[in-house]
Amino acid sequence: MNAFSIALDSIWAHRLRSALTALGIVIGVFAVVTLTSLGSGVRSYVSGQFSSFGATLITVTPALPHASGAKPHFGRGPNNNFVNVPSTLTITDANAITLAHSPDISQVAPVAVLPVTVSPTPRGSSGLAATGTTASYFKAEQLSFAAGRFTQTGAVLGSSALHTLFPGVKNPIGRTIYVGQAPIPVTGVLHAASGLLSKAANNTIFVDVSKGLQISDLHNISEILVAASGNSAVNGAGQVITRVMSLRHPSGDFTVTKDTQILKTINSTLSTITTFLSGLAAISLLVGGIGIMNIMLVTVTERFREIGIRKALGARDSDILVQFLAESVLLSLLGGAIGVLLSALASHMIGQLAGFPAGLTLDAVALAVGFSLLVGIVFGVIPAFRAARLMPAEALRTE
Amino acid sequence: MIQDINHPIIETHQLRRRYGRGDAAMDGLAGVDLTVRRGEMVALMGPSGSGKSTLMQILGLLDRPTSGSYYLNGTDVSRLTTAEQAELRGRRLGFVFQGIYLLPRLNAIRNVELPMVYARFPANERKHRALESLSRVGLAELANRRPNQLSGGQAQRVAIARAVAPGPDLLLADEPTGALDRASGREVLALFQYLNDDLGLTIVIVTHDPLVGRHARRIVELEDGRIISDTPVNEKDRIVAEHPLEVIR
Repeated sequence: MNAFSIALDSIWAHRLRSALTALGIVIGVFAVVTLTSLGSGVRSYVSGQFSSFGATLITVTPALPHASGAKPHFGRGPNNNFVNVPSTLTITDANAITLAHSPDISQVAPVAVLPVTVSPTPRGSSGLAATGTTASYFKAEQLSFAAGRFTQTGAVLGSSALHTLFPGVKNPIGRTIYVGQAPIPVTGVLHAASGLLSKAANNTIFVDVSKGLQISDLHNISEILVAASGNSAVNGAGQVITRVMSLRHPSGDFTVTKDTQILKTINSTLSTITTFLSGLAAISLLVGGIGIMNIMLVTVTERFREIGIRKALGARDSDILVQFLAESVLLSLLGGAIGVLLSALASHMIGQLAGFPAGLTLDAVALAVGFSLLVGIVFGVIPAFRAARLMPAEALRTE
Repeated sequence: MIQDINHPIIETHQLRRRYGRGDAAMDGLAGVDLTVRRGEMVALMGPSGSGKSTLMQILGLLDRPTSGSYYLNGTDVSRLTTAEQAELRGRRLGFVFQGIYLLPRLNAIRNVELPMVYARFPANERKHRALESLSRVGLAELANRRPNQLSGGQAQRVAIARAVAPGPDLLLADEPTGALDRASGREVLALFQYLNDDLGLTIVIVTHDPLVGRHARRIVELEDGRIISDTPVNEKDRIVAEHPLEVIR
């Protein structure tokens, strides 16, 4: 007969009271665990979206030069408007990165957003965007062709763009579209892209970058998309790009951004929010703990006689202390266990509804168990000490 | 603790116990000198408020005296830590109270085992002693009953079995027959007589009932926290059951 079986028996003897006491812990643990699980569910969903590319993409975008070393700030355009940074990136820059022949780099694609209209007729507009690039782009973005392929003279349609331009047409290859009034034959159609970041491709028409620049009378491209050859190659690829670009743009008018950095930023934002919400939820755990202390204090008063008998029979102060502490710890652990079960159910259901995986994480369960243990001990100590320090005569006098 | 046969089991000097403070203070005990030797059966008698229960609680280490000294088996108990006192209570002292002081959620044998649990007896010895003790009070068959399934007399006999199971030096009983009918009371007193006569256990009984007192060999009377008389019971006045164990069965 150890302290825990005594505690279990006492909890069972006062079932309703124990259940109500544990309820505070149940709610607290439920809230903390559910929020943490949902948080990590969202996080793994976002990472999943990135990792369909393996988070290996690196983008080179134009930036204001920092000639004096001071960082430029935005809002310095004409009329103090918030303006786009004028691009100085060229196709040659992209070629230079390719020519570095780094084993860390697998694909390099110049990307030019073309400020032209796209239409199935010589005059008109579909509202679709046109992008000039090379075949590498599709490999880097992992876009696959439903039909045809990308050529230097033709156009490739995203899956939604096909429906907009040629409603009801299954195979548009050979038809002509007008990009900035220049007639271009359709040579390929893409599969629908589902990734969070590649959905834009669905509404886009792709043409060869040189031809695109020529049509829109531009000299500079919008960005350079680089795919590293693997997750471990991202940093190496970034260094190569920076080295090559710094030689060609000593003024530093470019920025190299890795997808991993974006992922990191999103992750850290999400964990901040999750931690904040869990912290709020933890307040209910605190309230639950005070509930336990309250009930345990009442219990001690009610059980003076039992404490007196046990002490008369030779129970040491420490025996009584352990008995009462065991009871409050067991009570809060039970509450914690029920809270975790409920939370498993809830996050599963929410995950199903919201469409991302939100199972219980080991972290969340460990957190809950740790928290309930802590609450049980912290709030059980005062009542347990009161019980233990009672003089047996005093305890027995109370009828 | 070394047991020395030459020491009295109980020896107190000017034992005082004061309740409350200041003007409201009241002496529960106002200087008690009492010596009880091994094998004695003493009745502490007196009206309510005379201090007899207070004295018993101090003798049983359930309370501490305000001043004065108390030697239990030759040991000055005021020098002991609370843990050492608890150990003495568990191993060397047995208690029987007026009401039913069994734990309601434990069956008879678990109740009897309880002091031996706290005294860290090995499990098999505990079980053995508990059964032996229960059969000594004639209740071996009811070992698995809960207190609410026992009559008052049976419950009190379980309490006695619990008090003597660890093999104490001293049994302290506070109005042990107070809550019982006459027949059950006779059983309990016969049991005390058996424990004292045949097993040599030292017993101190607190009672206000002269009939109960006449079962003892010596009567100590208290009034207002002082001993006013201390007299042996004449053999011809003493109430003795001819065959105590038959009364129990």
